[in-house]
Amino acid sequence: MTTPRLIAAVLAALTLLVFSNGLPWVFVAVCLAALAGIGELWLRALSGEVMPPVTRIGLAAASGLVSLPFVAITLHALGILIRARSIAIGLAVLVGVLGAVVLLRERRSGSPADPRLPRMIGAVAIPGLLTLVVGFLALSAYGRLPHPPQPGYTSLALAGWAADINQPVAIGARGVHVPLRVSSAGRPGATEPLRVRVGPRLVSGRPMAVAADATRSVEVFVPAPPDHCLHRIEISLGATSTVFYGRGPVARVSTGRVSTGPGQTGC
Amino acid sequence: MTLTRTVADDRPGLAVASTPEPPATASRRPALACAATLVVTGAAGAALLVAANRAAEWDTGDQFGFFWLGLLVFTLPAVVWLVRRGTGARLRIAVLTAYAGFTYLPKLLRTPDGPLYHDEFAHWRQAHEILVDGRLFEQNPIVKVVGDFPGLHSTVASISALTGVSIWHGALIVLITAHLLVVLGVFVLAEEIWPEPRTAAVAAVLYGLNSSFLFFDTQFGYESLAIPLLVWTLVALHRAMRGPAGRARYGWSAVTLMLSAATIATHHLTALGLLGVMLILCAVATARALRRSHPRAVTWTAWVLTVAAAVLVVTYLAVVAPRTAGYLDPYLAKALDQFAGMAGSSGSGKRTLFRESVAPWWERYAAFGAQGLAGIAMAAALWRLRYRREGDAVSRTGALAMFVLGSLYFPAALLILTPSGAEGARRSWAFSYLGIALVVAPVVVALLDHATRRPVRIATAGALLGVCAVALVGNTAAGMNPSYRFPGPPVFGSDTRSAIPEVSAASDWLRATQGRDLRIVADRYSGLIFGSYGGQRPVTGSQSFRTYDLYLAQPDREIPPLLIQQLSSWNFGYLIVDRRMAREVPEIQIYFETNEPVPHDGKPAFTLGQLTKFDGTPWTIKIYDSGNIAIYRFDFASLGRPVR
Repeated sequence: MTTPRLIAAVLAALTLLVFSNGLPWVFVAVCLAALAGIGELWLRALSGEVMPPVTRIGLAAASGLVSLPFVAITLHALGILIRARSIAIGLAVLVGVLGAVVLLRERRSGSPADPRLPRMIGAVAIPGLLTLVVGFLALSAYGRLPHPPQPGYTSLALAGWAADINQPVAIGARGVHVPLRVSSAGRPGATEPLRVRVGPRLVSGRPMAVAADATRSVEVFVPAPPDHCLHRIEISLGATSTVFYGRGPVARVSTGRVSTGPGQTGC
Repeated sequence: MTLTRTVADDRPGLAVASTPEPPATASRRPALACAATLVVTGAAGAALLVAANRAAEWDTGDQFGFFWLGLLVFTLPAVVWLVRRGTGARLRIAVLTAYAGFTYLPKLLRTPDGPLYHDEFAHWRQAHEILVDGRLFEQNPIVKVVGDFPGLHSTVASISALTGVSIWHGALIVLITAHLLVVLGVFVLAEEIWPEPRTAAVAAVLYGLNSSFLFFDTQFGYESLAIPLLVWTLVALHRAMRGPAGRARYGWSAVTLMLSAATIATHHLTALGLLGVMLILCAVATARALRRSHPRAVTWTAWVLTVAAAVLVVTYLAVVAPRTAGYLDPYLAKALDQFAGMAGSSGSGKRTLFRESVAPWWERYAAFGAQGLAGIAMAAALWRLRYRREGDAVSRTGALAMFVLGSLYFPAALLILTPSGAEGARRSWAFSYLGIALVVAPVVVALLDHATRRPVRIATAGALLGVCAVALVGNTAAGMNPSYRFPGPPVFGSDTRSAIPEVSAASDWLRATQGRDLRIVADRYSGLIFGSYGGQRPVTGSQSFRTYDLYLAQPDREIPPLLIQQLSSWNFGYLIVDRRMAREVPEIQIYFETNEPVPHDGKPAFTLGQLTKFDGTPWTIKIYDSGNIAIYRFDFASLGRPVR
């Protein structure tokens, strides 16, 4: 392919990559072809020499591929974020520079064309495509066959405002409702005991149904700790639990919204 | 207007020696026979590889047999077509391409959907960060220097951004291309040294016997792209050395430097390896120039390009990636210490090969046998180099340099006996095997050609194929654990099988509720998932930041104040605890990092009390629990407060 045509084809491919959506696998072929074209420009610009077709294919592929990190590093150095459009523009600039060098060189010494090259490209592309088909079929077959089940689990997590607890919670005399998230995957449905402990004391307990492969939200009532000292508050569901720390109301305060406060002497 | 002229020939000296390509009509029948053979054997091989994975998943124990049968059922006929005298140039390249594609299949079947090997998580994260933030050189929490070498992940991210495919699919496109480039690159490099296409094809196949070829250098890791770049840099270097003086030599020199720069921006060790190979070439060229058996211009070209590449490497490591020396140094220092320990009377630091490995006995014997075969092959190559002088000055220099490179395989094999040196030794084989492949290939072809009678030739070819099969099985077994090669039931402490859905769910929850880029403390295996898919910044401990002391502290003992101060001042917010550490021994004998001060005596190093103590400390709020995995939020202000 003559150099002007090669430049035009690469620029057209880059334009297509930037302005089109969908069909990602088609664009992969377009992108690889564009990179091979850029690699070919590198070779024409730097070497300008005839070489065995397989050497040309390999060097063009390698040079085209490394154009991407070269452009990315240049964009980074210029403070430009790496996005599809900026990469494509960077590659287009590279194509322009390389194309200019090649055209200048060819004005002096002509452009060597290798009649063996198209057939050698076929010798690489055809078995390459065949092995891709075999690989795709093998992957598809493997994916469709039954696989052993993965180990299941049940998780318990603080949710809502409770997920943001980052220090002891001040709990008013009326107690507090703690939102929780219960999730189960890979396990059959079961009933697990849901318990609340304040310090060593079990303050509530009830069975709770945990559905298979489902996530649900629950609220658990936690009564106020007996004093303003720091108390360990544990909410457990079967073998899983969450733990946070809280203080009860100060003796003279009768009501209180959830708030936090410093420790108190005498605890 | 562009002037166009057709090419008469490209390299007179080499073209004369090459086997003339048969006419198209004459070569069509063997090409069709070859295509039919390889399509059938390729399909059969792929089916057997799938069967191997199935056997491994269901733990039937048959995976090793299926795997090797599947691999050999394709590769052996492919090799026969490659070394057949009547095979034309295009057919040979077509078979090599098919060989490269097929040998990527084991890795593709192992990791079809996403990262699985340790370093793959680091590169996946880095590519993801580029897509999200659009910036390079961000520090990676899984492998700390990965971000400084953006060659691979910027290529993958760019392809993903330009085409719309996922990061993983973008990575597969780059890696399959790189794998093909290695095979073709070794072929072309061999043609630079031995002007005989059969020898070059044998060299490409022999390089495919190295321990990293099937799994390690096919992973989403920087060496997978850097090694083909190294090979093609050497091709360009040979062309520059050989090229006629003037513009052609300058042109090939520019290609050499361009590919050197790309290698450096991709992987530190490969860049150093490239420099090492170039220095070996220079040393051999200089020695030959002093004996007047070498044109001085060739030596000067080699030296100028090597010095230029060295300047690039040193500048890059000093300016762009200054952390690299600190990253690599402990591995080397500890390996040498352990080597000294082994040599001493105590025998400390020794590593037992295949300890607790589930690899079958024949793989283990083949692993030891492969070393012996490499030794015998190199001895034969030395004899041939000594008494058969072929090619021009550059070819001879290249062959001698490759012999020196291949000889380095054997000292590196000793390092495999030390825990810290094993990783480096395995990585070095991808370089040194290049030397072995390039100097042993003519020996193989000479053996084939020596047998003139058909039965003897068939017996010789069969024996050589058998030797290659032993080397392939043995090297692969020595280079990669079965858990990396095959799927299977979850195993704690395996980089590839620890990632049960429970860990991923915990990581997803943390990201969804608390955001990304959080500083967290974790073990090695949780850290891989939280640091990649979870988008967090995990720390798994080091000598200067001993986060593992959090886990090691007994329930009634105080956490070291220095550690608490470090965690607090560096804004660490979360602690991940995997309770499997109290029940199971990690498969690869690592909980956090290679130099961890944790006992490895065949029993779990932690008690359940050590791991559940955080349930009773007011400075750790347990916000998530799924049985094995618990997530705590640090509240350092509550440290030491009394609790009722």
